[in-house]
Amino acid sequence: MTRLFLTLVLTPILFVLPTLVAAQTKPSVQIGLSNETVGITSSFDGTEIVVFGSIENGEKERLKNGKYDLVISLEGPNDISTVRRKENKFGIWVNGLSEQFSDVPSSYTMAATRPVKEISSAENLKILEVGLDHLNLVPLGNDLSAEQVKLFRDSLVRLKINKGLYLVDIGGIEFLTPTLFKATLAVPANVPIGRHLAHAYLFDEGKFVASQFTELEVRKKGFEQQAYELAHNHGLIYGILAVLIAMATGWLASVIFKKD
Amino acid sequence: MNLYLPIAEMSVNVLVLFSMGAGVGFLSGMFGVGGGFLMTPLLIFYNIPPAVAVATEANQIVASSFSGALVHLRKGTLDIKLGIVLLIGGITGSAIGVVLFSSLREAGQLDLIISILYVVFLGTIGSLMLVESLNALRKSRNPDQAPAALPQQQTWISKLPFKMKFHRSQLYLSVIPVLVLGMLVGVLASIMGVGGGFIMVPAMIYILRVPTNVVIGTSLFQIMFVTMFTTIAQSATNQTVDIVLALILMVGGVIGAQFGARAGQKLRGEQLRALLGLIVLAVCIRLGWDLVTVPSELFSLGEGGGH
Repeated sequence: MTRLFLTLVLTPILFVLPTLVAAQTKPSVQIGLSNETVGITSSFDGTEIVVFGSIENGEKERLKNGKYDLVISLEGPNDISTVRRKENKFGIWVNGLSEQFSDVPSSYTMAATRPVKEISSAENLKILEVGLDHLNLVPLGNDLSAEQVKLFRDSLVRLKINKGLYLVDIGGIEFLTPTLFKATLAVPANVPIGRHLAHAYLFDEGKFVASQFTELEVRKKGFEQQAYELAHNHGLIYGILAVLIAMATGWLASVIFKKD
Repeated sequence: MNLYLPIAEMSVNVLVLFSMGAGVGFLSGMFGVGGGFLMTPLLIFYNIPPAVAVATEANQIVASSFSGALVHLRKGTLDIKLGIVLLIGGITGSAIGVVLFSSLREAGQLDLIISILYVVFLGTIGSLMLVESLNALRKSRNPDQAPAALPQQQTWISKLPFKMKFHRSQLYLSVIPVLVLGMLVGVLASIMGVGGGFIMVPAMIYILRVPTNVVIGTSLFQIMFVTMFTTIAQSATNQTVDIVLALILMVGGVIGAQFGARAGQKLRGEQLRALLGLIVLAVCIRLGWDLVTVPSELFSLGEGGGH
């Protein structure tokens, strides 16, 4: 009996517990957002999302000295994007060569403790898709050379940066205690609607240790949402309404400013 | 004061757009033109996506032409029968235009075609207006030279079949040139976001020989219905009419037009036309310049698989 008890109870304790303890001591990262939804109303002109988080089970000494590296990103829904290049034809600049990319995050905001290239190897970053250079944008066409594809990819990223949709903030993570941190990520006025994902990646001396993600919903609210939905789902009714509003305005004007 | 536009999906300054509406409204009241040919390029310069600018402008023109047509209806300076024939052509043209608009947008050439059409039309109309008004100004200084009378009949137009009587205009005219003119203006309404008055009015006077007292009213009548149709067709096919943007422009436009009309009464017709010709040419040069100079950014992003 006692032997059986020992085997049944002690074996798990002796063999499983150490691995459990080891799993618990492995550092991990937890995050939460200041808001879980961003509502686009008529006064919306961009906003900020604060990502709070903590590093758990980190080695005390390493935490104190800030040895761990963190990357926090906020990614908009993936989409297909077409990049076109203007060419001079008969003296006029017209859209010529183009390339389509799929899996393009419609927006991408990132904060990191250091430039990502210093944090980890290019291979790691590519697997994790961390940093603008490592996003896996898939070219759909196959008539362009690798060089041209790179040129179009770089242009896509540059255009997104110029529109304020891609943003990188190195050093944008603030440590409140050795384990608690926060990062303020900008949400631009032209933020795409849909499901956004906030990711946190923890690195230790170049090695990827842990990651966590949480969702952020961006949607139009109130009148903005109704107008948008009506326009996209019932275009005909929307158009008739637009005409009626215009007629009412025109009629009102002719009454108010009636010439005697 | 910023406002988020639901369809253009951008935050804009209401005061800037209201001023643009009022400014163009002032000019349109002063010169008796719709102003769409100035408003659409201005919206594009303000970074409103061209597709949204064009479709929304059609919606704005509904308001201004409706209020104008009401006035002419009360005064009886409107040939409804002629207007309806123009309209049949206009709606056909507008439908063709909306389909063209969609396919050009898909091919990524919409912005280019809009710019080229503007440069061609504004350039032609602006130059004609300027030359004609400068001649008129010169003649008014030597009053002994009588203005050239309009030729009584034009041979090719009067030879066309399918004639119809238009009592109000006292015309017996083939419907073919009327339908073609209406259709041309309809295509322009949906691709360029203009009412087309700047083509319609001279064409009605010089080609169809419609008496000048009914020209403006009849042209407004046709423009009103064509832009109504265009607004609805653009909404149903391209979802590019921004009702909030349109409303800001409408309100600015109708207010500006009242002041413009008063200011216009103090200037002489030829001076007005010369001034308008200069404004039209300036917009044309600005748009043309962008077409031929090396762009600062060669690449552009297009919508791919939608949202």
